Amino acid sequence: MLARQTQSRTLHWLGRQLFNRDDPAAFFDPLLERINPMWVQAYTPARVEQVIEETADTRTLVLRPSRRWSGFKAGQHVNICVDVGGVRRNRTFSLSSSPILWREQGRVTLTIKRLPGGRVTNWIHDELQAGMVIGVGEAFGNFLVPEPAQPVLFIAGGSGITPVLSQLETMAATDYRAPVTLLYFVRTEADVIAREKLQALAARYSALTVTIITTHEGASPRYLCAADFDRIPGIRARQVYLCGPKGLMDLARDLLHQRDIDDTDIHSTFFSVPQADLGKEALGGQVRFAESGIDVGSEGDANLLDIAEAAGLTPQHGCRMGICHQCSCRKTSGTVVNRLTGQASGPGEETIQICISVPRGPVAIDL
Amino acid sequence: MKHMTEAQLSELEKELDAIRDEVIADLGERDARYIRRMVRLHRMLEAGGRVMMPFGFIPPVFVAATATLGVAKILENMEIGHNVMHGQYDWMNDPALHSQTYEWDTVCTGDSWRRTHNYEHHTYTNIIGKDRDYGYAVLRLNNDEPWKPRHSLQFINYLLLSVFFQWGVGLHELETEKLQRREISLRDKLPFLKEFARKGGRQAFKDYVFFPLVTFPVAPIVLAGNIGANLIRNLWSSTVIFCGHFTQDAETFSEQECEGESKGHWYLRQLTGSSNFTGGRWLHILSGHLSYQVEHHVFPDLPAHRYPEISGKVQAVCQKHGIHYNTGSFAKQYGTVVKRVLRYSLPERLTGTVTTA
Ligand code: FES
Repeated sequence: MLARQTQSRTLHWLGRQLFNRDDPAAFFDPLLERINPMWVQAYTPARVEQVIEETADTRTLVLRPSRRWSGFKAGQHVNICVDVGGVRRNRTFSLSSSPILWREQGRVTLTIKRLPGGRVTNWIHDELQAGMVIGVGEAFGNFLVPEPAQPVLFIAGGSGITPVLSQLETMAATDYRAPVTLLYFVRTEADVIAREKLQALAARYSALTVTIITTHEGASPRYLCAADFDRIPGIRARQVYLCGPKGLMDLARDLLHQRDIDDTDIHSTFFSVPQADLGKEALGGQVRFAESGIDVGSEGDANLLDIAEAAGLTPQHGCRMGICHQCSCRKTSGTVVNRLTGQASGPGEETIQICISVPRGPVAIDL
Repeated sequence: MKHMTEAQLSELEKELDAIRDEVIADLGERDARYIRRMVRLHRMLEAGGRVMMPFGFIPPVFVAATATLGVAKILENMEIGHNVMHGQYDWMNDPALHSQTYEWDTVCTGDSWRRTHNYEHHTYTNIIGKDRDYGYAVLRLNNDEPWKPRHSLQFINYLLLSVFFQWGVGLHELETEKLQRREISLRDKLPFLKEFARKGGRQAFKDYVFFPLVTFPVAPIVLAGNIGANLIRNLWSSTVIFCGHFTQDAETFSEQECEGESKGHWYLRQLTGSSNFTGGRWLHILSGHLSYQVEHHVFPDLPAHRYPEISGKVQAVCQKHGIHYNTGSFAKQYGTVVKRVLRYSLPERLTGTVTTA
């Protein structure tokens, strides 16, 4: 093993000398892509094997990633990259299948809802077809079910059901020994994603209780309320998993707090990255993009990626939410505040992710 | 430089901006397909040249291999590297085609090029004393610089610069003229020199050590072929670049006349300081579309394959404002370059009054 690593390190060094790039393996991608897109080295290719229509605006992609992909745990997500109109775009989606399917068949699924005005989701719905190849990144995220088993409550809204589907399937397959309850909120009956799958799971996995609640079918909207929790036995002892629109998640958090459920027992996934309180005082400032010689002023909590784009620059980026590090740039002076943590950086030179960095006072960036 | 009022300049600015906006709004699939096709072609040529080279003991194969590798390097340096590093394809958000990370197949490092070329040359185009690409601090190409006896041999310098062009460009940032004047010391240039040594070493290793060694029995042939390929690329790229700014009618400017200039004035300077040459489609591609140097200098970050499409509009704008649009056949433009190099190797009293600069 060690021998192989040293060998590949030597090869990598050699490749860098010969091809002038940090990823020499990708040098011949433009040719390989033509012969077989699954041979591409720059990213992990995944073939779309099947497209399943779930609802009017949601479809599930059955993907077969190249074997070098390292797999995932239930509840994690991946970045995918697709070329839309000549532009490479990265987006993050939860994996909706169980890791067992990957291990046994080499397949994973993504369940994707069309977002109004969403460039990537609309492209996936309108253009993506079985047989095409897209790129997938390594899985990440810690929206993971507790080990060893503890009672669990899932509260999912709309397409927030996707990571939960993966978790429920995994729990059923491993015969997870603790009560599991799912409260699934959808606008109307027609918006239920993977209804059959949920029914089948509930039928064969006795620890699971599934309740589907439609919010917009009655005369007045029917949202999550305290009474919903009354019906759940032993709610105080449960680990709670939230995934869905921000309104639902905030509401759930409030109601749970009222029952003295601690934040450490509440898990939520990236659909609502907790936006740290940036302490609105004195955010924004003069930004200098040193390499392009552009100076612009910024106000409030605009992030550097947006500021750069508004100034006509086109920095590299991916997820735009602090996950993929594609947007990393050198800051040469000034202080920025990290949107996710609320932490201020030091004043000196360092590498920052511009998509989640907000200037506080004058800042200079190598861009 | 032609005199234009501020009002005329701002009109010029508006008209050129409009051409630019139209292209920007139209960028998409077609441009992505074009550059990816060029990259694919480069990979094929490079692989083909390298594979053929060891069979170079058969003379026609030697010629074919050297030419193929030479053309591969030209395509990579001109149409791909130069243009990608200008940020022409940044909007594609493809890490392999992004200006900030691209590293090309030549001695000059991408970073050094971004500083000396993207920034210095494109900002101060043809301003004597500020644009260090003007004569590359080696050649006297106008009479702002007083004649010295060493200039009489500058045609030889010019030939040497062309033969070793990649090394000259690689060392450009050393600013030897400032070192000589003791404005800076070698110590200031240490980080640059380190970078230069790394990249230069890498390039030399590849072509002059690695590939000859792995084909050991025919090493001399492979070595000769690789030297030949680099030579082809050096001569061609230096020629294209000289035709871009040193032709008969390409104007030069003084620092005073450009002080605090407006955007419109900057446009005017780019239009009058650059020169095009005409030719077939492949001549343009192999020159990285620097045959459209005028368009390139006005819009350095528009995908270069668009220049032929917008050239008509740029010409119309020039005509309207009475600005000379400098173009001609490759042979004609190159002829005036050679004439310029020769003419300024002699003092003015021998060549008569010079009106071109
Ligand atoms: S764009 Fe992904 S971390 Fe910034």
